[in-house]
Parts: sequence; structure tokens; C-alpha cells
Amino acid sequence: MYNEYFVTAVTLFILAVLGIILNRSNVIIMLMSIELMLLAMSFLFLINSEALDNLIGEVFTIMVLTVAAGEIAIGLAILVAYYRIKGTIAIKSLNLLRGGKLLATP
Amino acid sequence: MYILIVFLPLLSAIISGGFGRNLGEKGAGVFTSTCIVICWFISLVIFNETNLNTSILYLKLGKWLDSELLTTNFGFQFDVLTGIMLIVITSISALVHIYSTGYMSGDPHIPRFMCYLSLFTFFMILLVTSDNYVQLFIGWEGVGLCSYLLINFWFTRIKANKAAIKAMLVNRVGDIGLVLAMFVIFKEFGSLEFTTVFSVLNEVSYSNNMTFICILLFIGAVGKSAQLGLHTWLPDAMEGPTPVSALIHAATMVTAGVFLIIRSGPLFENSPLALIIVTVLGALTAFFAATIGLVQNDLKKVVAYSTCSQLGYMVMVCGLSNYSTSLFHLMNHAYFKALLFLSAGSVIHALADEQDMRKMGGLIKFLPFTYIMIFIGSFSLMGFPYLAGFYSKDLILELAYEKYYLTLAHWLGVFSALLTAYYSIRLIYLTFISNSNTKKERLMEAHESSWNITVPLGGLALGSIFVGYLAKEVVIGTVPPLVVPTIVKLIPTIFSLLGAILAFIGYNSFKTYKIFLPKINRGTVPNVVGPVVYSFLNSAWQFNFIINHFLVSKMLKFGYLVSYRILDRGFFEVIGPMGVSKWIVRVGQEISNLQSGKVYNYTLVMIIFVVLFILVNNL
Repeated sequence: MYNEYFVTAVTLFILAVLGIILNRSNVIIMLMSIELMLLAMSFLFLINSEALDNLIGEVFTIMVLTVAAGEIAIGLAILVAYYRIKGTIAIKSLNLLRGGKLLATP
Repeated sequence: MYILIVFLPLLSAIISGGFGRNLGEKGAGVFTSTCIVICWFISLVIFNETNLNTSILYLKLGKWLDSELLTTNFGFQFDVLTGIMLIVITSISALVHIYSTGYMSGDPHIPRFMCYLSLFTFFMILLVTSDNYVQLFIGWEGVGLCSYLLINFWFTRIKANKAAIKAMLVNRVGDIGLVLAMFVIFKEFGSLEFTTVFSVLNEVSYSNNMTFICILLFIGAVGKSAQLGLHTWLPDAMEGPTPVSALIHAATMVTAGVFLIIRSGPLFENSPLALIIVTVLGALTAFFAATIGLVQNDLKKVVAYSTCSQLGYMVMVCGLSNYSTSLFHLMNHAYFKALLFLSAGSVIHALADEQDMRKMGGLIKFLPFTYIMIFIGSFSLMGFPYLAGFYSKDLILELAYEKYYLTLAHWLGVFSALLTAYYSIRLIYLTFISNSNTKKERLMEAHESSWNITVPLGGLALGSIFVGYLAKEVVIGTVPPLVVPTIVKLIPTIFSLLGAILAFIGYNSFKTYKIFLPKINRGTVPNVVGPVVYSFLNSAWQFNFIINHFLVSKMLKFGYLVSYRILDRGFFEVIGPMGVSKWIVRVGQEISNLQSGKVYNYTLVMIIFVVLFILVNNL
């Protein structure tokens, strides 16, 4: 009965993951994908609470929304701080902390 | 007294080497000479007791190695063989010590030189007096060491360094044979003492290892006694001072190999195959060295190859089971060869260190005494009747004839006798009789040397004349008279005289051509064969070339390419510390490349591993 809802929620979640992985250009899209992930999770919680007929899922969904709001606020703050320093928000410019040939060869 | 003869030379060496600074040049010479002369008198007494009164003495000083299996004593054994060897060693050594004080005067390192000479005498006496193979081996290695030190005495000369290293290394090849022989003897007999080994011989001798033991012992003798194959060090050893050549490379050290064969005679008697090998190699050496001696231009090298040839005779007759004859020839040879070497030293000394015979000649007027000495030595060497060499050398050739299955050895020996006479006369002719090629100012200064050079020559000349006759009964009294045709008895003497006459005529060619062949112009017919044969013989049958190019350089390349580059710096480095540390660093860098800095890659990795974790958990 709730099968379509589950499929919809999981599809949304996978879309969000692909949005993070395949997105090579913009940090804002990444943040939006994270929001989408959280929403897909909330949706799953709600459907579960409806299907199992208890309230834990709904309580949890409210807490997730709170966390999501706080997270996006901090994320955007980091983004703004980053933009002030670098002048761009392209993901390609985010790889200053990579590994590679930094060790001196003996 | 018996112990004194062993340790007096050691004392002499220690005091001359350690306190030579206090003794001074003259003091060191007098002190060491006195010690060795005392040894000589002691050895005469020992000879009287062991050989003439046949009272053999065994002496045990104490235990050296004492395990359950192997017990080795510091033991001395004075028997007939030792008595004769002691006479030879101490008399030659004493005369060489006295000679050296004159010959080396002016050299800044006389105490060191006398120390080495005495140390050599000590090791040689230790070698001949020991009653087991282990102590014999100490002496054996000790004389090799002293040979190195003495050849290298003038250590600033690069040729002396090379010759010393060569002598040491070539000897070492033979030493390996001796060590292996000792191992096999211990395995077979359970002991290394001569008395034990020879007394249980009949119980063991059916074993096939006897041939193995004998061949290994013979390899030791080949190395030390400069037989064919390992002879190349002996001519090169002439880079040392002349007294050294006389003492070590003519009279004593090179005879250590022959001594080993004589000492191990009972072992060799149980292996006919080894005996035949010994005979054939000895005869080949005698012939080979004699042919080379024909064309050498260095005065000392002629004598050196002559030594090699005579050692071939000694080894050859050992293979015919006549050890006493070999010992007799060893004894006579020591006297006349030391005489030849010391006389050569006298000539070299008189001509201001000129060794090339082509730059000598006409010295008979200037050095009459040395001429007579070299004449006596050469005729003794040729086996001229009534001189020392005659008694042993002719006997050797007759014995070789008696063994009909080794005709080869006999004829090689006889032909070598001819060649020996030829090069002896050639040496005398080019040095003393022919027209002089020396610079006038050198010739004007040529003179006989001081008394301490001439007196040893006189003593050795007496030895070269009389020793053969005097010691004949003592040493080879047990050899029964041979039944051979008269012509065979005469052949060696005839051949020797023939060689001598040929040489004299050949080198007197200017006069000869006038008399016999007046019309041949030597310049018109180009000679092709002559130079080829000459250079072949002059370069000693190309042995050095063969060994250097097919053995030494190949080994050197093998050592560099395989041992060093492939194994040491290659394989073991790769699986060892260097390779592992480099591998870890490289792998670490590659792993750190995973840290791309790109956020979406991190996410991907995270998700992949979450999925994997779930999958694995659900399996």
C-alpha cells in the first residue's frame, strides 16, 4: 500500500546522492542536494510512522527539519566566508587539501 | 737443544723486528746471523743423532686442540727426513743471512729484512719438524706469508706489490688443496698425526678415497712447488731482493711441496693413479720450464725457470716411488741453486743493479771469483760428473728409465737435461765470455764484493761440489743399484755435454760462422718460424696470457657483474632494506593520491563503502 511512497522517497534520496557526486561545478547545488537528502529521509520517516502507526517517526522528522535548518545556515555561512576569501564558489577550486607528491623522495 | 733449533730463529725474528731500532743496522745483521749459524751447528748435531745414529726423537710440548674427536699436539718429530731438511734449511739460511748483510748494506730497512728472513727460517723449520698435518700447515702458511713480505720488501715498487700478491694468491690455490686433503684424511683416519695415519694405513687403504687424498695433497704441492699450471708466481717472485730469491724461491720454500709429497709417501704408495699423475706432471714441468729458460733475458729469471725445472725432476721421481732420491736431489739442488742465485746477485751488485743479460758480457776479467762460482753451480746443475748434481740427477733419469711404462717421463727428463745444459752455458757465455755490452763507466766500476758476499758463495760452492758425494750413502744408501744398459747410464751425461757444446758453439757463432759456414749471409733469408717460437718461449708458453684473459679477467667480470651488480647491489638490495624502503615510500605516495581534495570523490567513496558494508553484512 505504501510501496509507491517508499519508492518515491528512495528515488529522491538517490537523486540527491547523484546530485552530490555528479555535480562538478557549483557548491550551492551541493547544498541543495544535501537538503534534498534530508527531505527524502524525513519523507521516509513520515511514511514509516504512518505505516507502523506510531509517533516516533514524526517526532524525529521535526528534529531532522531543525537540524537541516541549522545545517544549511552553517553551510551557507561557510560558503559566504569561503567566497570572501577565494572570490568563487566553484567546486573545482575546493581541492587545495589534496594528497599526492608532497613527500620528499629520499 | 731440539726445541732451541725451532725457537731460536723465532727469537731472532722477534728481537730483530721488535728491537731492530735499538740494535741498529749492523747489530741486527750480526745478531740474526749468529742465531741462524747456531741453528746450523745444532742441526749438524741433530743430523748426527737422527741420521747417522738412527735415533729418532718425538717431542710433545702440549695439547693444542683437544676435543673428543680430534687431538692435536704441539709435537715435533726428528726423523731421517727432518734431519736432512734441517741441514739444508739452516745452512742455506745461515749463508743467506751473512750474504744479506753485505748485499743489503745501504738499505734503510735492514732490521726488518733480517727479521723476515729469520721468521721465514722459523716457519720452515716448524714445517719440517712437525709431527702432524696441522702444525705442518702452520709452517706451510707461514712460509707463504714470509714469501709475501719478502717479495714485497721494497714495497714502493708497484711490480713488487703485484708479484707478491700473485705469489700469495697462487699459493693459496694450492693451500686449499692441502686443507681439503687434511679434511679427507681426518674423515678417513680420524687423526692428523703422521704416526697414527701411517700406522693404520693398511686398514683404510682399500678405500677409494686414497686417490682423492693424494691428488689433493698433490695440488698443495703443485701450488707451493711451482709445478705446471700453478708455476706463474715463481718467475714473478724474482722482483724481491736476490737473497730472498736464493733462500725462498730456490732452496727452501719451493721444496716444501716436494717435502709434503715425501712426508706423505706412504699415502701415495696406495694410489697408483696419483703416482702416475705426479710423475707425468713433474716431467712436463721439467721440460716446460727448461724450454722457457732457453730464451729468458733476465739473469734471475733464467735461474728461476731452472728451479722450476729441477722441482719437476724432484716431483717426477716422487711419482716413481723413490722418495729418498727426490730428497737427495732436493738437498743438492738447494746448494747449487742457492749458489747460482747468490752469484747472480753478486753480478747484479757489481753492475749497479743491472739484470738484463743482454747488457752484460765480458765480466770474466772483472769478476773472476763470481765466474768460478757460477761455473761450479752451473756444472753441478747440469749434472757434470763428480759434482753434486750428478749423483742425484743421473739417478733420477735412470730410475725413470726403469719404469718402462713411463718412457715419456724419461725422455722428457733427458731432453730437459740437454736444455738445462744449454741455458746454463748460455747464461755463463752472455754474462762473462761474450763481448761486453755494458756501459764503460759501469764496467770500470765492476768489482768483487766484500767478504760477507764472497764467503757464502765459497761455502755454497763447497756444498755444490761435495754434498752429493758425501751424503750419497746416507740419503740414497737404500736405493739398490740399477740394472740398466750402459748406454742409458751414459745418455744424460752425453746429452748434457751435447747441450753445453751446442750452446757454446751457438753463442760463439761469430767465430763458428767464419770457420764452418763462411758463405751464408744471415740477413738474406727472412726467418719466420724463429721469432714466433722465440716469443712463444720468451712469454713462457703464454701461460700468463691464458690465465689472465681466460680465468682472471673472467672471474673479475663475474665478480663485478654477477656477485656485485646482480646479487649484492641487485637482488639482495631489492628484497633487502633499500628496495623495501623505496617500495613503501612509493606505495604511500600512490595511496595519498587517493586523497584528491574533491568533495564529490569523498562522497562517492563513502557511499561505495556503505553499500559494500551493507552487502557484506547481509551475506
